[in-house]
Amino acid sequence: MSIHLPETQYLDPEVLQKIGDLELIAREVVQGLRAGSHRSNLRGFSTEFAHHRQYSPGDPIRSIDWRVFGRTEKYFTKLYEAETNFDCHILIDASSSMAYSSGKVSKLEYAKFLAASIAYMVLKQRDSVGVSVFDSELRDSMPPRSSMNVILEIDRMLRIAEPRPKTAIAKQLHDCAMQLRRRSFVVLISDLFADVDDVMAGLDHLKFDGHNVVVIQPLDAYELEFPFKGTWRFEGLEGEEPLTTEAERLKESYLTGLNKFLDELSSRCMGSHIDYTMTNTKRALDELLSEIILKRETPGGQSAPSRS
Amino acid sequence: MSFLNPWLLLAALGISVPILAHLLNRFQVQRTDWAAMRFLDRTVRVRSRQLKLRDLLLLILRCLALLFLVFSLARPAWRGDVAAWIPGEKRAGVIIALDASFSMQHGDEGNSRFQRALKQVSVISDKIQAGDPVTLLLLGGKDQLIAHNMAFDRERWDALLQEVAATPAALEWDGVPKRLMELADGMDAAEKEIYLITDTQERNWKNRSSEFHDAIKNLNTTAQVFLVPVPGESANLAVTDLALVSGALRKGNIARYQATVRNCGTEPVSNVEVRCRVEDTQIDSKKIPLIAVGASETVSLFVPFYNAGATRITAEISGDLLASDNIRRTVAVVRDRVSVLCVDGSGGDAGRLISAALLARGDAANMEDYTVRSIPWLAFPAEDLSKADVIILADVPEITEDQVTQLSRFAREGNGLVWFAGDDVKAASWNERAAQGDNALLPGVIGNIINTSDAVGAGKPLDPNMPDHTVCLPLKSLAEDLLSETRFLKCVELKPSASSFSVLRLAGSDSPILLEKSLGRGQVFMFATSAQTTWNNMALTPVFPMLMQQMITYLAGREFERPQTVGDTLTLSFVEQPDASDAVFDSPSGKTLTVPVREYRNQYVAFIENANEAGFYLARVSVQSAAMPVAVNVDTRESEVACVPAAELAEQFKDSGAIIAADEASLAAAIDTTRTGRSSWRFFLYAALAFLIIECLFADRLMRRQQSTDHNQETMPAGDLGKQNA
Repeated sequence: MSIHLPETQYLDPEVLQKIGDLELIAREVVQGLRAGSHRSNLRGFSTEFAHHRQYSPGDPIRSIDWRVFGRTEKYFTKLYEAETNFDCHILIDASSSMAYSSGKVSKLEYAKFLAASIAYMVLKQRDSVGVSVFDSELRDSMPPRSSMNVILEIDRMLRIAEPRPKTAIAKQLHDCAMQLRRRSFVVLISDLFADVDDVMAGLDHLKFDGHNVVVIQPLDAYELEFPFKGTWRFEGLEGEEPLTTEAERLKESYLTGLNKFLDELSSRCMGSHIDYTMTNTKRALDELLSEIILKRETPGGQSAPSRS
Repeated sequence: MSFLNPWLLLAALGISVPILAHLLNRFQVQRTDWAAMRFLDRTVRVRSRQLKLRDLLLLILRCLALLFLVFSLARPAWRGDVAAWIPGEKRAGVIIALDASFSMQHGDEGNSRFQRALKQVSVISDKIQAGDPVTLLLLGGKDQLIAHNMAFDRERWDALLQEVAATPAALEWDGVPKRLMELADGMDAAEKEIYLITDTQERNWKNRSSEFHDAIKNLNTTAQVFLVPVPGESANLAVTDLALVSGALRKGNIARYQATVRNCGTEPVSNVEVRCRVEDTQIDSKKIPLIAVGASETVSLFVPFYNAGATRITAEISGDLLASDNIRRTVAVVRDRVSVLCVDGSGGDAGRLISAALLARGDAANMEDYTVRSIPWLAFPAEDLSKADVIILADVPEITEDQVTQLSRFAREGNGLVWFAGDDVKAASWNERAAQGDNALLPGVIGNIINTSDAVGAGKPLDPNMPDHTVCLPLKSLAEDLLSETRFLKCVELKPSASSFSVLRLAGSDSPILLEKSLGRGQVFMFATSAQTTWNNMALTPVFPMLMQQMITYLAGREFERPQTVGDTLTLSFVEQPDASDAVFDSPSGKTLTVPVREYRNQYVAFIENANEAGFYLARVSVQSAAMPVAVNVDTRESEVACVPAAELAEQFKDSGAIIAADEASLAAAIDTTRTGRSSWRFFLYAALAFLIIECLFADRLMRRQQSTDHNQETMPAGDLGKQNA
């Protein structure tokens, strides 16, 4: 792995695609990320005590270590370090709709890069990470483990993940909720092209079970902008009936419907305290992760759902 | 149906291009995989049938535009009722051949044949559509193309008609059909019409040859021929001749001119007054009591010359309907004196006889303005030639080269030279130095002496059939018995040069007895016989003094005394290379024509090829020099103005296919009836343009979509591009 990525502020998904090696991609993404926000990064996913530091105005009173005060008559606050038994489940939607690409990186590939990066980041914190790839069924799954070698298995699993025609995301979320016995950190990466009620039912199930749920929705630029002109024949990736139409005439209604869908998804996630992030597949991965982590840093560990 | 440009129909093969493009692109719908199908409004659907219909419509528009464009460029035309439902205009390319000979001027003021012909032209032009090719040819003398394949424009056409006028020239119709055929062949029109507008003079149109009929018939295969007669009355008198009959053109002398008036009409004419004018001053008048139908009468007009120099003389009549041939013009160059030098090589006999003939009266020798001197030939080298007007070489044995040069220059300056044979003449010497070559001094090569006497010793008389030459005029007036008294016992054999003219011949023989040639501005006569009585008895008969005096009068004249006819070439000769490079001719109407001086056969000449006006031209060797008048008369063959009636013309040309239109109404009706050919190219062009515009608007809309599609394709992933079907 002598290839070294160019020193760009953010990593272009298309450049990452050329690399191909998910482990390397994850390492580069996460290391670049840590270089800028190490403390926040660690603290964002950790709950165990790490060390003390001197109290400064504004720190919560309850975090003052009174025993240290008793010994030293100085105020110190307790800081926490990584929790070794924290589980992170990454769910990847590998349905055919995720195969769409107007550029060089499909939504599924983007999801793989993202999953690998998150997995690497979690393992680096000595937490456990597991990955599940599903479409209409659960195609592949790996239970959470904390060994760094897991990243190689994740790499292998994601490599062989191919898009399948149908998706049944709600069912998979319910199944996942049923299987997870410990409170976990669940990251769902999907275009969520399904009924909003179904999707939200699954997510709410996870949330009800006490899991910390993060939803990342990668969408292609063409899906967001619909720049087509002229006569086009649109052929559904999940077996829908093809449609030959005048694209200009269709654009307005399409964008209205899409935005309505995204708005509803966003608002309902916010209502269920689920971290929701919609992203363009052209967006740099480290930039996206940075944004997600930043949201996690906000008090209460929750932030307003965002669409970027 | 016919096409003006049938080969352009090959361009219709171009229709395969849009058809091919249609076939190649008929499945051209951009295709892409799509995930977010749930957000696409399925009510906005373009059915493949709709696409096919759109492409088919585009194809049809393109094909129609192309076909109609090709059709319009091929210039289709229909004859008769063929495809009568197709819109078309009755159009034709029109060639109008308008007789502009001076006989067309016959008629009352404002109602001449030419003016009536112009009305017929107006009738024809009323039927011509704007933009159709039209040619107007003025016939008469040298044809004038007033308009050649001109796109018809009413204003321009009317302006052209304002300018046309009859010419003073005659018209010969023999070459006209060929000329019209050339014009018809050179005209771009699906249907062509040729109009011959003429007064149908009998001399041209009565009993035409079969060749002419065939030519008209042949012409009719290329274009519809219309014969448009504009006949008129046949009454016409013409002054057909004005010639000097006798008298020397010397200052103080009186010359007799003879004017000939011909009655070209069908009624006898009485009391015809002929007036003679000299320099626009009437000096004589004679009345002809009666001129029978078809007859010519002559009157003698006596012209006194009070001043030396060029004198303009006219003989005029008046009162008939054609003025052009009522006047005849001539020019007399009057000399202060005439000096004749006779160089006698015979020892005295020849000189004496010639002098006696020239000085017919005993007291003539004392006239100051007319001298005849005879010198022996040995004294010739010392003689000052500049004092002589005419030199007669009688029986001169031989001549030196210097003398040839001297005499040649003498003749070129406008003087006269007469050469007589004789016993002492050394033919070889003369031939070597003076009679050989194109520009020789003498008009013939001297041969052997031949005996022309018969068995009883009587010589041969002169041939009474003499050419129309000034020198012959007095001899023609001699009674035949008097003429035949002159007998020639022997003469030298003369071989005429190419530029010589045989004036007199012996009866029953082709060998000339008198040759003439022009040399510069002068003339040279050459007798094949001697002036002495040993060769002939000419000196003992009236023939000799009449011939010699007329010859001196002729030789003492000048080149421009001889009248020209309209259409002739007017030539101005120079003795030496002139200082000025241009000569100037002033036409009778006052136009100044400057022509370059050219070298032609070792002579310097300036000429105008076509004298197209009747009257007196003024020739100048340069702008500053004195003018020399030249009389130009009309060709009086055109004066026969009797016309062939339209009915007779129709009968005569019934097999030729030509249409005879006798008046304006019948001409208009004939055009309407015969012009069945319709031109539709304009309508096809409009249709093609309409289809093109519609197609362009339609295609533009599609093109914009295509361009945006192309842009999309550029930004599409390679994988997806591969999914799109071209």
